[in-house]
Amino acid sequence: MQKIQRSSKAARGTVTCDNTTMHLLKANDFVADSIRKQMAAQNILLLNITSSAGSGKTTLLQETIKRLGGQINIKILVGDLETERDADRLRAVGGDALQIVTGGICHLEAQMVWQAMESLNLDGVDLLIIENVGNLVCPASFDLGEDYRVTLIATTEGDDKPKKYPRMFLTSELMLVSKVDLLEYLPFSVDNVVADARDINPDIDVMELSTINGTGVDAWCNWLLNKVAEKKEAASLAAS
Amino acid sequence: MHEISLIRTVFNTLEAEFSPEELSRLQAVDLKVGLLSNVEPILLQNAFAAVTQSEGKYETTTLNIETVPIEVYCPVCDKNSPVKDYKFACSCGRPSSDVVSGTELLIHRIHFAEPASVRSA
Repeated sequence: MQKIQRSSKAARGTVTCDNTTMHLLKANDFVADSIRKQMAAQNILLLNITSSAGSGKTTLLQETIKRLGGQINIKILVGDLETERDADRLRAVGGDALQIVTGGICHLEAQMVWQAMESLNLDGVDLLIIENVGNLVCPASFDLGEDYRVTLIATTEGDDKPKKYPRMFLTSELMLVSKVDLLEYLPFSVDNVVADARDINPDIDVMELSTINGTGVDAWCNWLLNKVAEKKEAASLAAS
Repeated sequence: MHEISLIRTVFNTLEAEFSPEELSRLQAVDLKVGLLSNVEPILLQNAFAAVTQSEGKYETTTLNIETVPIEVYCPVCDKNSPVKDYKFACSCGRPSSDVVSGTELLIHRIHFAEPASVRSA
């Protein structure tokens, strides 16, 4: 922590410490950096998947395990307020998942991930996915040491979400518009949601996705494989 | 979001940095809270009152909260522009997500009463 400057310009009778930089989430960011370093040392790609509750995070991860489970070594940490239900769903399709039960906390913090990592054997793992608590507000503020933050927005949620929850879309590298098989029944415009997201974050990538009819699932899996390969390439360049 | 835990973090941060004697003279803490921090100043004030009352300390301390607007940097114009209607762009029209202010969650300033020995001198 930066040493605090004690100002001599305080009003008479008081002493003022001016312009301190004591960041209230500093403890979280410190642990997040430790996670980032460990992931770099082990060449593991770390993703933080966020969205509202019910937009299809777990279903997408089930599909991802079915498609890529034989090609790359994937582990999943999944956060919820209560129950092991999501981890059970992921294990049912052959996934290696560990549930973090937050006991009422509305987001995952780096410390929870760090502690959960102690219970995971990360030897030979290519991809560690964190499925965050379903919430577009608080998870946006907590760095978990991820390489990429991926945010889902389902067509059933309405296309007004990016501007309502700007920080999440500002800090995400990829937006997945999920449940696009329902577009013909819903007043949801993909163009509007992309335009609003890019008003906030001009660099955000977008994919349309449906695990029901298969739209975009190949593109998502290829994106994952490319990012895993890029991470290993960067590591071998750094080592040479 | 989690205003109570943020207030506890404020106190934990101060207690790590200052001695109990110094903190017994704590008069006010000024926070800077960015509009993008997802923190609501009124709820933070309520949480401050709740924590100080339930823990019986810092009851005479005032919490001041300054909200910080969102600004982005444009490398072409080499200047900062305010973000309006959540459109992250420079006033020249070029989009930018290089946020230079608005995500703050900082203890910005801390006010103490002078120690008794100084006052009597």
